[in-house]
Amino acid sequence: MLRFWGWAVLRVAAVMLMASFASAMLMRIAPGFSSDDQELNSGLSSQSIQAIRQARLMDADIPHFYASYVASLIHGDLGASRSLNQPVKDLLRERLPVTLFNLAFALAVGWLLGLALAIAAQIWDTRALSFFANGLSGTFISTPAAALALVFLLLRWPPAFAAALLVYPKVYRYTQNLLQQSSEMPHVLTARAKGAGPWRVLAWHIAPIAFPQLIALVGVSISIGIGVLLPIEVVSDVAGIGQLAWHAAQARDLPLLVNLTMVVTFVTVCATLISDAAQRGLSRSAA
Amino acid sequence: MKRLYLVLVIWTMGFSSMFAQTGGELRFCLRSEPKTFNPLLVEDEASETIRYLTGGVLVRVNRITLNAEPDLATSWKVSEGGKRIRFKLREGLKYSDGTPFSAEDVAYTMQQLMDPALHSSTGDAFRSAEGKLATHVISAHEIEINFPAPVANLVNLFDTVAILSAKSPQKEMAALGPFYISDRKAGSYLLLKRNPYYWKKDAAGKQLPYLDSIRLDIEQNPEIEAMRYKRGEVHLINTVSPAIFEKLSSDSASVRDAGASTDTEQLWFNQVPSAPIPAYKKAWFTSTNFRRAVSEAINRNDLARIVYRGHAVPAIGIISSSNKFWFNASLTPHPYDTSSALHRLQQDGFQLIGDTLKDKDGNPVEFSIATNAGNRARESMATMIQQDLKKIGIKVNVVTLDFNSLLERMTQSYKYEACLLGFQNVELDPNSQMAVWLSSADNHQWNPSQKSPATAWEAEIDKLMRAQAASGDEHKRKQYWDRVQQIAWEQEPFIYLINKDALVAIAPSVKNAEPSVFRPQAFWNVETLALAR
Amino acid sequence: MKSVRLVAIAVLVLTALTVLGARYLAPAGYEQQFREMPQAAPSAHHLLGTDDLGRDRWARLLYGMRVSLTLAPLAALFTTVLAGLVGGIAGYFGGWTERCCKLLIDLFLSVPWLFLLITVRAVLPLNVSPEASVTVTFALLGLLGWAASARVICAGAKNLMKSEFIWMARASGFSGFKLIRLHLLPNLRGALLAQFWISIPVFIIAEANLGALGLGVSEPLPSLGSLLRELQDAVMLRPEPWRLLPLAVLIVVISSFQVLLNKEEVRS
Repeated sequence: MLRFWGWAVLRVAAVMLMASFASAMLMRIAPGFSSDDQELNSGLSSQSIQAIRQARLMDADIPHFYASYVASLIHGDLGASRSLNQPVKDLLRERLPVTLFNLAFALAVGWLLGLALAIAAQIWDTRALSFFANGLSGTFISTPAAALALVFLLLRWPPAFAAALLVYPKVYRYTQNLLQQSSEMPHVLTARAKGAGPWRVLAWHIAPIAFPQLIALVGVSISIGIGVLLPIEVVSDVAGIGQLAWHAAQARDLPLLVNLTMVVTFVTVCATLISDAAQRGLSRSAA
Repeated sequence: MKRLYLVLVIWTMGFSSMFAQTGGELRFCLRSEPKTFNPLLVEDEASETIRYLTGGVLVRVNRITLNAEPDLATSWKVSEGGKRIRFKLREGLKYSDGTPFSAEDVAYTMQQLMDPALHSSTGDAFRSAEGKLATHVISAHEIEINFPAPVANLVNLFDTVAILSAKSPQKEMAALGPFYISDRKAGSYLLLKRNPYYWKKDAAGKQLPYLDSIRLDIEQNPEIEAMRYKRGEVHLINTVSPAIFEKLSSDSASVRDAGASTDTEQLWFNQVPSAPIPAYKKAWFTSTNFRRAVSEAINRNDLARIVYRGHAVPAIGIISSSNKFWFNASLTPHPYDTSSALHRLQQDGFQLIGDTLKDKDGNPVEFSIATNAGNRARESMATMIQQDLKKIGIKVNVVTLDFNSLLERMTQSYKYEACLLGFQNVELDPNSQMAVWLSSADNHQWNPSQKSPATAWEAEIDKLMRAQAASGDEHKRKQYWDRVQQIAWEQEPFIYLINKDALVAIAPSVKNAEPSVFRPQAFWNVETLALAR
Repeated sequence: MKSVRLVAIAVLVLTALTVLGARYLAPAGYEQQFREMPQAAPSAHHLLGTDDLGRDRWARLLYGMRVSLTLAPLAALFTTVLAGLVGGIAGYFGGWTERCCKLLIDLFLSVPWLFLLITVRAVLPLNVSPEASVTVTFALLGLLGWAASARVICAGAKNLMKSEFIWMARASGFSGFKLIRLHLLPNLRGALLAQFWISIPVFIIAEANLGALGLGVSEPLPSLGSLLRELQDAVMLRPEPWRLLPLAVLIVVISSFQVLLNKEEVRS
């Protein structure tokens, strides 16, 4: 157990470092890194424009930037956002709780809806229910997040609920397919033939097969949720890290983006680690 | 008795309506977080809004009459053709924290502003030549400022210089303007409160501003801003898109079209000799006939009517006709005439073979127009231009790029063929466009930073721009600038497309609003804005 | 259930015929601008009205469907194959292979690929055709979208490796990629199909959002995604019912595919 968690901590640290370095490199390579919209200000002199370009190139040497970033990070200094002129720590302190709350809400409601519909479709295998569930999930998965977010704004409903409606179709689709496939297993057919009721078949025979994959899905649903929340935060103007990430990308704000990548990676990898641990626990108890 | 009663009634009504107009919190939105609260370093619109609302300036340009009016300065005298200016200042003024205001603060501000290490566009506007600024504090309320060389439009430039306190512990947060920053939450809002020491009074002697406070919410999404305006959560929108304008006006919300603004949308071709584009395309782009032909093939009326829903006018030249003094009224709109366009092209050896235009070497005429992704109006204009040019056999590829990538191509790698962008002309004076029209300048977009002018007409423009910058005679400067506009009209390095209207939304509860086409359109007279109770 | 399947087939055939016959069913074409009637309501000449630039919406819907409903399923297939391969290999080999694959998956889930997409656009020639541009976009989406599903596949594969039929297959001499291909992946059909179905509409919408970076389809070629982007306008500015048709079409087509390939439907 100790070995597992030891590897886990190493894995989290390694992935965080690699992901944030990769994001810094990608930003550096992408065109527009040294560009600043101030260059188009016709009121600026040539020297001022050159100074602006030089300032942008301060972080051009990514390995050097990253080494000093990590050194500062060890002392708890996350650096300052170049575009917002504020310490990154303050920005994260203000915005992270907002996003975490919305994410938790979206995932909780999304999973509840997705699981409930998938289980219902499995238990009451009727045409009407199947049509309704598939149609509803098809509707929401085909609706752009931005449009849904605007609808919710008009209705004055919380944007996190829009995120939940965009998470649930993915959960539903995976769960429904996994339960469907598991229900075709020979031992399940045998149980049914022997007269086991649908709830018993689901709980004792289908769920154990589908469970490991479902747990893995829980782990990755964090990144699904973050992916869904980002456009919703941007469109709904929710002051969360999704909006901050979009701003960092547009402004090529290297310190901000690197820190955000660290945060997202940490949350994502922790979630997948927890699901891995749960799977280990399950397989041990099954053995 | 009856007369006395009437007088009493009228007096009571006036008295009560006066009180009904004071107090309250005005609410509107900023499209982004202000990048700085240092008024000397303002470059973005959000920071400029804060500067306007909190900064005290020596001179304020009235956005309706365009006259320079006394503000912190009661009078001024310009001498040596704009090399020297002497201000007499108001006495007894204080900053929002109670620190007294004096000529020392003006000297301090100007020294800070003209520090070459500051790299501020506000300071660069005064930098007509190398050399140091000299300030001479004559008394507590009189100061003389000497520049190394004459500065064109000197008086009006002080409209953008918010005077900092040399002594206040609050530094740049101490305000001389009608409001000061009282509270803020990053990414969410700013709250400005009435400056208790603000010097201005209205005609009846009442202390200004009328408003108690202004709340500025950070709202990036214009559609959400419009929704909040309709719900009454905000009182005004400073710039409204044509689509939202139509929606709000159809719903009877109060919107106003103040007329053609000074902003322009234009297309230009890459004429940089070292640009990584084929030589035959460079030959097209450097040909005046080619550019004039493209210009004549574009239906500007359709652009104004369809993309801007009628809230724009076809552009004629460098500046819009709303800039009445500086606009060259002798210029006429470029015609929409495909036959004339083809005729010009034929002069350069182009031929329309079937549906394809080919140059004299048989190369089919095809180029890309790059514009910034996410700007629906520009994407639509590029698509319409694509269709217009198809009629004369030119194939256009519309390429939308994220803004930083586009900027990198325009200013560093020069990996583009044609570009469609817009410019915000904040300053009316032609001197503000030195960095565009001088061939050596960085913002000479079609061929920037030239060591020597590439063409005779660019050399002539260089001479004219330098002459207008050095002259203190406004009418002479007008003549030089008229000639620059004429050359630009003939050569079309920029193919000016439209001047969009200044569209604002102001709730009926906001009193004394007088929207202008000049920034800040809806609240330039913020100290006299009031909210009806 | 058979009738449902028949309806689904009919919908898909009708869609395919409509899309293939776009030139005849929408002679106006997707790029012609009827500038005298921008934002027109539906009429005999323009079945779904016109858009902001006066282009026929019906024509743009047909051609948009052609682009998106061809490329999005291909990209979805690509991403599903990648997810199956990586997840299958990780689950089969276990140990360090699994650890490395999971590390790769975690990286793919965490890195903001936005800048890779911007770089790709920079590398593409300026005068690339709209068709080539949108093909590259969907290919990139396929290349980057496999990570989440690969984890689920890996968990499923690991579980299956303990099952009796896998033991029997190994005992029969199956191993390596043959075992993965013939025994593991077919039994992970549920997760693979889910990945495939989810990816199609997600990629269609993502392609539209990538328009903000200059990727995706370029004017005047329409895509279903670019038509869906107009829903924002429909919500806030012009709530006209016919603007919802691209969304309705996408829902119906996706649902029809799902019904068609659902095993239970086939069996019954």
